[in-house]
Amino acid sequence: MQNLQTMKQKRSIPYTAIVLFIIALVLPILFRRSQYNLILLTTVVMYGVLATSWNIIGGMAGQFDLAAGAYLGLGAFTSGTLLIRWDITPWLGMPAGGLIAIGFAVLIGYPLFRFRVREVWYALSSAALVSVLRVAFLMWEEVGGPTERYIPYHDWSFYHLRFSSYIPFYYIMLILLVIALFINHWLSRRKLGYYLLALGDNEDAAEILGVNAQACKLKALMIYAFIGGMVGGLYACLYGFIHPKFFSNTMSLEVAILGIVGGMGITYGPLLAAAILVSMREFLRASLGGQMQSLYLGIYSFVLIIIVLFKPQGLGALLRDIYSRLNYIFRKESPKP
Amino acid sequence: MKKLGFTVFLLVLSMVFVTYVFSAGQAEAKREIPDKLVIGSLEPLTGAHAVFGSEAKLGTEIAVRHINEAGGIKSLGGVKLEVAAEDCGENADTAKLGAESLISKHKPIAIVGLYISRLTVAASEVTEREKVILMVDALVDSVTEMGRRYLFRPGPKASQHGKSAVEFVLGASKKSGTNIQRVAILNEDSAFGRSNAMGATESAITNGLTIVYQREYPYDISDVSSIINDIAAAKPDFVVHCPYFMDAILFANTFKESGKIPKFISGMGACGYTDPESINALGTTAEYYSNTFSYNPAKDTAQNRKFVEDFRKETGHIPTEAGGMDYYITWTLKEALELSGRLFPDDPLNPDNIRKAFLQLDLQSGPAVDTFPTNRITFTETGDNPHARAVILQVINGEPKVVWPFDTAETTAVFPRPDTTY
Repeated sequence: MQNLQTMKQKRSIPYTAIVLFIIALVLPILFRRSQYNLILLTTVVMYGVLATSWNIIGGMAGQFDLAAGAYLGLGAFTSGTLLIRWDITPWLGMPAGGLIAIGFAVLIGYPLFRFRVREVWYALSSAALVSVLRVAFLMWEEVGGPTERYIPYHDWSFYHLRFSSYIPFYYIMLILLVIALFINHWLSRRKLGYYLLALGDNEDAAEILGVNAQACKLKALMIYAFIGGMVGGLYACLYGFIHPKFFSNTMSLEVAILGIVGGMGITYGPLLAAAILVSMREFLRASLGGQMQSLYLGIYSFVLIIIVLFKPQGLGALLRDIYSRLNYIFRKESPKP
Repeated sequence: MKKLGFTVFLLVLSMVFVTYVFSAGQAEAKREIPDKLVIGSLEPLTGAHAVFGSEAKLGTEIAVRHINEAGGIKSLGGVKLEVAAEDCGENADTAKLGAESLISKHKPIAIVGLYISRLTVAASEVTEREKVILMVDALVDSVTEMGRRYLFRPGPKASQHGKSAVEFVLGASKKSGTNIQRVAILNEDSAFGRSNAMGATESAITNGLTIVYQREYPYDISDVSSIINDIAAAKPDFVVHCPYFMDAILFANTFKESGKIPKFISGMGACGYTDPESINALGTTAEYYSNTFSYNPAKDTAQNRKFVEDFRKETGHIPTEAGGMDYYITWTLKEALELSGRLFPDDPLNPDNIRKAFLQLDLQSGPAVDTFPTNRITFTETGDNPHARAVILQVINGEPKVVWPFDTAETTAVFPRPDTTY
């Protein structure tokens, strides 16, 4: 009976997704007068993309990856350098950045998975990649170096992906979000998705049952890195420059936190976490940051602790519970355990 | 029906979320302050640079208080100023969000900030698009080389700091009769550090010095003993060093522990060695270290004494680089608004008119100049002040004292270091 309910709910997801997608399409039109609201929307969606792609390696495969900043930085530098040096459009630069990110993902992922580096050791290794790349790009004067490299300013250029409004950036980011969500959803119904979930649950048991852990995890890492690289290309155009500080451990950690707090393995969980937590952080920063310094970070941390303490399964699971309970109240259906 | 129910549930939830996120922005956007001009203060108030950002914000707040006490902007009918402050965080995205947020909610006539160059670059795209004047307290040279029309920097840029550090050592060595020929140049590896080092290198070459050692290092370096050994092996007469904060403490302690101390160690870029936090952290080890400053806390004018006193009341110490800089930056902005009011009485707050006023500004007296390291403030087309120059502070008996330029020095520099070992 429970499986039947889950199946029915699964079938309802595309219909719900279409409604939410229409809302997402309309939002910039509603808030077009305020550039602040538009960049906030874009930022929320950007973190949503990163956290949703993290869900593939972190939520499904159970690898506590802390290298989102590395893939984002590689994408930003690839796309930014192609544009600054050779005037190559970011429309090509973004996928090129994604491919470079895949290259580095294989470079670090293959030996780590081959030698069964897991859990905290995997987390530390992936975090190290961010720091190593930051230092390497600081020293690599031809491409990086300590000085910012500016992307030429254009009021409105689709070729250069430079706009004086955030609306185009929002829609491009939204497309990336849809792709990330679709891949999550698609994977969760494919053999690879089941293997990843099994690995995330108990890697040893999954391997005994014949799952090729190394290959599955590497595929998950490559998908995640590619999306991160694509976002990086857009990030460079959005902010107008590239700098080795883009290889940020803070951002990597934040993406992982959103993935965990959203609900490991729940497709819409990380997006939900990004929508609530990133906008809440920004709301608190804008309201309190100027007067009571650091207080907003304290409140933000407190909210995170509360979520982890009282709903360790994450915000995605919380949303599901609320829906079940409302169903019970209004339709007298038993809430799912 | 069930799938429709779930959809409606999500729809309602989305609407609640959207209302929650944008309620503050929408409500704030409607605020109009017809009798007050808002000055935005956008500084890093959290993270690694919070110590500088907090004092920069305080400098702006004190300046606005003093301007209002003095009658506001007289050419605009005595309109008063008001500070709206926001935290720009540590990253490009938070800096840009901060600029958008400030402009969207408070409609400031100008923004003062953001102390860190890459944050300034990110925010300047927003101020440029919105035609909001950006008064910059970041030192990196390239900030004014991007063709921004509404960006102005009254203070000295980083390369001027590096140049000042070398010129001070040369001047002090002549005065004391010490032979100085060999220099080691050291900087943390950000754009800020490099801009300082470029200025020092240029000045060293111009003055015929021999650069015997040059090194960049990451500011979060944890062990500098090998660098100290390399410096000692190169036997420089003096070291010019652009650190941040923690690395300056590490270098000073390691110099002392190693017992290999050159004739002089001069900081550049105003971070580390001579600021109150560094002196507290280093104790007696801070003695005889010097650094360049964009602000002269010892300038003997009534306005400066008033500012120092007010700043000390709030913090317990004399104004730092960031605090002092933002104080005269805000006064410079006030003078530009005054001029715009006189030149363009029909449309004084038009950003293009304010820009024209900035370009015509030639301050040689008044509160801005009274607290400025030199006695003149004008602006080039790029937004730099060609008359800007840094001063040198040296820690003497636990207190930072202005020792250069010699004609306005508070006391005589201790040169060479009494504890030099080679």
